[in-house]
Amino acid sequence: MSGVHPLSADVTETAEVLGGKAHGLIALRRLGLPVPPGFVIDTGACRAYLRDGRLPDGLDAGIAAAVRALEAATRRRFGAAERPLVVSVRSGAAVSMPGMMDTVLNLGLTTAAAAGLAAETGDPAFVLDSRRRFLSSFAEAVPDDATAQLRMAVEAVFSSWHTPRATTYRDLHGIPHDRGTAVVVQAMVFGNRDHRSGSGVAFSHDPSTGAKTPFGEVLFGRQGEDVVSGRAVTGPLPELAEREPAVWNGLLAALERIGRHYRDACHVEFTFESGRLWFLQVRSGGLTGRAAIRAAVDLADAQIISRRTAVRRISPGDLRGARVPRIHLDAGLDVLARGRGASPGVATGRIAVTADQAARMVTDGPVVLVRPYTSPLDMHGLAAAAGIVTVRGGPTSHAAVVARGMGKPAVVEAAGVVVDAGCVRAGDRVFPEGTLVTIDGTGGEVVLGAPGTTTGATDPHLRRLLDWGCQAD
Amino acid sequence: MTDGADLLVLHTLRCIGFAELPRVADASGLPEPEVESQLIDLAVAGLVTRISGPFGGWGLAAAGRAEDARRIAHEIDATGSRGAVTKAYQGFMVLNPELLDLCTAWHLRVVDGVAAPNDHHDHAYDARVLDRFADLDRRADAVCTALSAALPRFGRYRVRLTAALGRVRSGALEHLADSTVSYHNVWFQLHEDLLATLGIPR
Repeated sequence: MSGVHPLSADVTETAEVLGGKAHGLIALRRLGLPVPPGFVIDTGACRAYLRDGRLPDGLDAGIAAAVRALEAATRRRFGAAERPLVVSVRSGAAVSMPGMMDTVLNLGLTTAAAAGLAAETGDPAFVLDSRRRFLSSFAEAVPDDATAQLRMAVEAVFSSWHTPRATTYRDLHGIPHDRGTAVVVQAMVFGNRDHRSGSGVAFSHDPSTGAKTPFGEVLFGRQGEDVVSGRAVTGPLPELAEREPAVWNGLLAALERIGRHYRDACHVEFTFESGRLWFLQVRSGGLTGRAAIRAAVDLADAQIISRRTAVRRISPGDLRGARVPRIHLDAGLDVLARGRGASPGVATGRIAVTADQAARMVTDGPVVLVRPYTSPLDMHGLAAAAGIVTVRGGPTSHAAVVARGMGKPAVVEAAGVVVDAGCVRAGDRVFPEGTLVTIDGTGGEVVLGAPGTTTGATDPHLRRLLDWGCQAD
Repeated sequence: MTDGADLLVLHTLRCIGFAELPRVADASGLPEPEVESQLIDLAVAGLVTRISGPFGGWGLAAAGRAEDARRIAHEIDATGSRGAVTKAYQGFMVLNPELLDLCTAWHLRVVDGVAAPNDHHDHAYDARVLDRFADLDRRADAVCTALSAALPRFGRYRVRLTAALGRVRSGALEHLADSTVSYHNVWFQLHEDLLATLGIPR
């Protein structure tokens, strides 16, 4: 074979060869779950490219054959004016390096193909949005030929293995520099197709607590990059239940099936196009600290894994993480927002929505500063506050770095929160400045009032797991 | 008195937020007495204000923010430097995610797949982060050089970034990403300055 493999159930190469993304997609295929058809160019081809500075002999032919097969599977033509085939081109190394390498969406939208797709869908605005996203993923001029575009994108993804940021990431995470990345090429599914389309991520277990409750976020009418990049403000996953019940039910059933397959917590990236659900990525595990402990104990109780396996899954790091103080989450709590924990610890204080207010209010007691994002103009407010909540910008935003530098709990990407003049809105509820809240910089919860905190010592799941650990020895 | 020093002081406050006199002087690169005199004039004009208390200092008034936006927009057009600054900003934005990754790795270390506060006891790990930091700092040179060539007031950032990294190297680790004059904080202000100068909303 030429280093090109179809994303089909009978492909048996390892994640080392195919990359983690393609390997997971093939597992989904085997489970009978909807994955857009496509192919993967393996890590061997990448290593050859990085070594020789050109694509290896025979790769062009292999890609061409794979494109023909994809055309047959989709009954579309790559670069054609009529029923054009449009593809996504994504990186996927053996070890996940999220966001470090290139992704190209909507590839194949040449001038002719764009006109054809606009005529086919009757929606020129959607095609324009897609083509704009495609063109903006390249720094240089893009040829108006689909095959040349694909070659250029594959080379760009291969080359992105060596960007300084990716190199830094590997250095910090102990990932070898010589492995290279695979490239996954799939027929596009359009989250920006219409109002019954969108993208999201879904977790089988709540990543804060480890409880087996589906959790995640969804963004209607947009492509997946907007969810992952944190560029747009997403809504909580259950919004799907109301707006797209078939997608929601399909998602729940799939999480159940995937969980049984991996015998572990899992999460997926998904897109739905005109009400039809597709999976673009799957990962198992990924929980840490007390969430990992609870999930492992529950899986053992459900006899999905043995107690010995549950004990083995928990690392010393999880046990250390379990000691961090957390909000004592019980049924009586009023959670007004969920975001992502960006600086561990619990802080209680009255809401302030500007830095000036935080600096003033702090003379009467602790304050939690809630901002859409932060700039240096907020520094005095950050210094005054006991804890920080932001709506935009992820765990590696300036706000998160500043909060950690000051040793203050922080929650970022607080989904559904709107900072208004003198108040914070969450859904249809309004919380005026001065409202007492408590934030958890590990789990990302923002709750009303001043609930108690717990440390790992009182965690019943941790106690049981430690008991099992003693018995196992 | 330096010509345009009032704008320099005003714009410094626009980029660093509330600060006491020594920090304003350090960020602007002007002597403290001159900065103080400018601040008083700007306060009389209603453009800056002084807030007392532990989190106070000199800061912009709403009118000062508007005045700064007007004068900074005029400056970039009058000097014909918009193209060069825009290009440098694009270079900055390539480096910015990596800088934030490095600051995050400095604060939180992933061990056994779990992020835990970096206690700085593992010198090999810290050295690895600092090596990558130094490498990024070298690549930031091109951005800093282009910016100072376009608008000389940007020259101060290179001096301050180098000073912060020097303090870290001599063992004052808090100047990487914790203190008000840390590398990250100066970088954060440069980011703000670029957005303000180009009139880009966050």
